[in-house]
Amino acid sequence: MGVMATFASPEVDEHLDLSAAGALDPHWQTVVWNDPVNLMSYVVRVFREYFGFSREEATRLMMAVHHDGHAVVAEGMREQMELHAQAMHDYGLWATVRRAPGA
Amino acid sequence: MSDAVVISFTRVEAVHLRGLVGQFVDLLSDADAASDPAVSRLTPSAYPDDAASADQFRAATRADLLRRRSEEAATVLADLASAGELDPADDHAFDEALTQMEISLEPRQVAAWLRTLNAVRLVLAERLGIDDEDDHPADDPRFGVYEWLGYRLELLIGATEDV
Repeated sequence: MGVMATFASPEVDEHLDLSAAGALDPHWQTVVWNDPVNLMSYVVRVFREYFGFSREEATRLMMAVHHDGHAVVAEGMREQMELHAQAMHDYGLWATVRRAPGA
Repeated sequence: MSDAVVISFTRVEAVHLRGLVGQFVDLLSDADAASDPAVSRLTPSAYPDDAASADQFRAATRADLLRRRSEEAATVLADLASAGELDPADDHAFDEALTQMEISLEPRQVAAWLRTLNAVRLVLAERLGIDDEDDHPADDPRFGVYEWLGYRLELLIGATEDV
């Protein structure tokens, strides 16, 4: 969508640019929330497998989920964050999408 | 092929697991699945504070997600088919039940197994009302199954990380 807007002539429609700006807003987050069921080893495995994190980084994020109740696992454009959330749901993790606080 | 993982079960474990995964497939295909809290647990809201975005996300993802759950569960059922049936009337039923069997899993199967074991465990947790890490309804026989699934999941994670 954002790419199409760059090909549009300037007079076509101003709101195209606005919607492109929205789609390209990089201040969205995928957040994984703590739950009492998913095993710590499983959560680390998912973070390593899906995001390609090192064991250390995956473990740090898992511990953040466990102790703080949630952790931001990705930041970027909304559509991408929704794909990550969907992937986390595929693994049985509880993930949400939000605009970065204060962004 | 070198990435294959071999997991061992007693036959009675494999038969029980097949039964559980079979029930899971039935649950997913049930007409009432949409209103079942256990199925809702598998398709959580991505926007708890924004009903419109939550509905859009759910409409775009839910059916695909449940279809993948069913497909992966079917993979697990196929892998467990060799466990056969156990006949309790058989004179050797006890020995048969404790016979070891091995199942070899390619990476694609490993992914299906991990997600399916975890999803079945989530469903059991919902049925058991486990809302807190300190919830241990030990008098409910399903809690033993829940713990056993966690044990099998840990074993599988360990086995795949040794590769």
